[in-house]
Amino acid sequence: MARTKGYPEPLEKKLRDTRLYEEDTNPQFTKTVEKISMTIPHMCYQCGTCTASCPSAPRSSYRIRKFVRRALLGLEEEALTDPDLWLCTTCYSCTDRCPRDIAPTDVIMAMRNLAAKRDIVPVNFLKTVQAIYTTGHGVPNNDVNRAARKKLGLNPEPPTTHGFPKYVKGIQYILDYFGLKQRADKIIKEREG
Amino acid sequence: MAEKKTRKEPAAKKDTKKPVSKATPAPAATSPDKELGKGARIGVYICHCGTNIAGSVDILAVQEYAKTLPNVAHVDNYQYMCSTPGQKKIEEGIKEHKLTGIVVAACSPRLHEPTFRTATKTGGLNPFRFEMANIREQGSWVHMHDREGATAKAKDAIRIAVAKAALLQDLVPKSVPVTKAALVVGAGVAGMQAALDLANAGIKTYLVEKSPTIGGRMSQLDKTFPTLDCSQCILTPKMVDVGRNPNIELMTYSEIEEVEGYIGNFDVTIRKKARGVLTPAEAEARGIVGGGCNGCGDCDTVCPVIKPNPFEMGMKPRKAIYIYHPQVVPLIYTVDFDSCVKCGLCVEACGEKKAIDLEMKDEFVKVKVGTAILALGYDIFPIEKKDEWGYQKFENVVTSLEFERLICASGPTGGHLVRPSDGKTPKKVAFLLCAGSRDNTGVGKPYCSRFCCMYSLKHAHQIIEKIPGCQPYIFYMDIRSFGKMYEEFYYRIQDEGAKFIRGRVSNILEDPETKNLYVMADDTLLDRPMKLEVDMVVLAAAVQPSADTDRTRKLFGVSCSLDGWLLEAHPKLNPCGTTTAGVFLAGVCQGPKDIPDTVASAEGAASAASIPIHMGEVELEPYFAQCIEEKCAGCGMCVNLCPYQALSLVEKEGRKVMQVTEAKCKGCGTCGGFCPGGAIWMQHFATPQIVAQIDAFLLGGEQ
Repeated sequence: MARTKGYPEPLEKKLRDTRLYEEDTNPQFTKTVEKISMTIPHMCYQCGTCTASCPSAPRSSYRIRKFVRRALLGLEEEALTDPDLWLCTTCYSCTDRCPRDIAPTDVIMAMRNLAAKRDIVPVNFLKTVQAIYTTGHGVPNNDVNRAARKKLGLNPEPPTTHGFPKYVKGIQYILDYFGLKQRADKIIKEREG
Repeated sequence: MAEKKTRKEPAAKKDTKKPVSKATPAPAATSPDKELGKGARIGVYICHCGTNIAGSVDILAVQEYAKTLPNVAHVDNYQYMCSTPGQKKIEEGIKEHKLTGIVVAACSPRLHEPTFRTATKTGGLNPFRFEMANIREQGSWVHMHDREGATAKAKDAIRIAVAKAALLQDLVPKSVPVTKAALVVGAGVAGMQAALDLANAGIKTYLVEKSPTIGGRMSQLDKTFPTLDCSQCILTPKMVDVGRNPNIELMTYSEIEEVEGYIGNFDVTIRKKARGVLTPAEAEARGIVGGGCNGCGDCDTVCPVIKPNPFEMGMKPRKAIYIYHPQVVPLIYTVDFDSCVKCGLCVEACGEKKAIDLEMKDEFVKVKVGTAILALGYDIFPIEKKDEWGYQKFENVVTSLEFERLICASGPTGGHLVRPSDGKTPKKVAFLLCAGSRDNTGVGKPYCSRFCCMYSLKHAHQIIEKIPGCQPYIFYMDIRSFGKMYEEFYYRIQDEGAKFIRGRVSNILEDPETKNLYVMADDTLLDRPMKLEVDMVVLAAAVQPSADTDRTRKLFGVSCSLDGWLLEAHPKLNPCGTTTAGVFLAGVCQGPKDIPDTVASAEGAASAASIPIHMGEVELEPYFAQCIEEKCAGCGMCVNLCPYQALSLVEKEGRKVMQVTEAKCKGCGTCGGFCPGGAIWMQHFATPQIVAQIDAFLLGGEQ
């Protein structure tokens, strides 16, 4: 700390070397992402059509173009540890319009898979797993919804696992088979205690 | 195959009685398979091509192997066989070792076959006594990391070439006279320049244009980059020259109907579409003295039918009897028979000139030319297919060509740029580059259209100059300002205040009230998505081959690449030539070009097309079919198979035999492969020669 010329700590952090070094890149990461996503992020010419199409981008720091660039350069750590990775709504607008015929959405999905392998998943995603396990729905029915359905002359419970709770068992069987619920429980416990 | 081989052997034995005289060049045609391969002495020369070949082929091993091959009298190798000392080796080898055939194992025959043929000839042999073994493109280059395999393949290639070389014959190229006239298809700036060059070189030139006027796309433009000359002002002098040049026979409103023949002697049928109006010359031919169209426009005034003018991109009306614009060449009106109601008012208005004939029919004219130039031009890609930019859905989204007409003083608005929705002057204009270009989705074009960057810079300049306070926004991915003074032009436009935003527009939305447009893009340099409200959007739409290109190219036997642009003979070293001898390409039909490149390519094509005409005759490679008359049964089945109409049946000594028109024959071998009696001899690719090659390969050199 004596050599920081008296800068306070946050400024010290701000002034750290952020240059891109060759060691930061992992060519194997590009190949793995391409294999999982079955698309071609190495062909990106950074036109920005994806970000411009993205409904998340104007409201967040999420930049799909940046993630495709990271896939191209093999910046594994930067891509997988960036919380923005989880802000894609998977609307596929970027995939529709990409002039290089890349599917950026699938690049994101591949990266999420790789991040999840390392237990890098936001808690809200894991809570969605729990919700699906218990109710069969990522976003379970609630009282506001039920009232709205009634007003429209519909059964308050939709004809899904809400209407037929006995089928929740089937969904639980699938999630158990892949150990997803157990994994989610474990990670949430680690994070939230 | 084995059967064929045994059948050939007795014939060869029979020939042994005849005296052998190899070196004297015999006429190509007579008794082809006699004396074949007797006393052959082959010289084999192996090229290192620096390390191109020697790097992955064991040259000395190949050389030792070549010495063991039958008929090989001499083997040598050299660093660069194509160099002068390399060629000298061939010349001296022929004399020293009394060689009858030469094999050079080196690169592709596309590169150096002519070089080594010349060396063979200089050494005193017939140049067709040469055979090339490709051990580079098909050997060392593709097996760069497999020295053993590449060496083995080189040995195979040489063994095969030696087998053929032993059976090669003396052949004499055929000369045909060249008609001293040329054809140019398309009279845009490329076609006009090519026609003027040919005509000024003293060659009679037929210039055929499908529209009623010459001038093409360039005459639709307002200004040209980077000099900002008025496009019409620099083009009309050329148009006038074309119209007046005594060596140019201008045929507007005409199309190519049929093409027959070959280099030096093309017979071209041209359809002169019924124009409904007589030129003064045509009128005189009909006995109407002092009549014919003088362009007065009286007919235009009375015509009751109104249609959109395609020259103005449909933004200005024209009548059913029309000219595109006041500067047309020739100044002759045209009747659009698809919309004419034949009311006869124009005929009345024309009066004594009697220029209008509403019953006119298409005419066919036949011309004979030595060479032809295709200058077929381009169309705009139908950019409405890119749904996200809203062309034809939103009124204030226009294409660049529409913008050219809107900003042009002679255009529909007199040069006042207005929004199509309300006629108001726009204050903020967005230009979208790469609209449909550099697009791999299958909906757009994968190539760069090459001149959009520069004309969009010019457009930005024009609105800054004409509309005070008007702000251009240029959405780009890369600015490709590669030409002379182009980068300086980019600097100038940025200095004038154009805003450059590096991002491709993802989509455009329209405000239904104001008809303003919201342009959505990512400012990739700022890393922020943006939404920009503008008054007008100009799409720099991709270009594609003009609608008629495919039909016309097929008539001339010219190939095209995957994207439809016509294929040149060599992209670097023969960009104006095609694989059809005597047919050349000028301008954008070969690929997107700006005006300077188009004119340069037109002058190149004109120069290339004039060479055979000035030479007076062309040499055809003697690879044509020959009829062995004693074997021909006169069945005539080959005649219909020939794709070039080169064969016919003739009466000879009381029986029918096939006869080849050598100048028409391209040596494709269709007839030779088919003939049930084996009566057709394909020169230089004859059955025994091919069979020898196959045997050499399959039997590995065993006899």
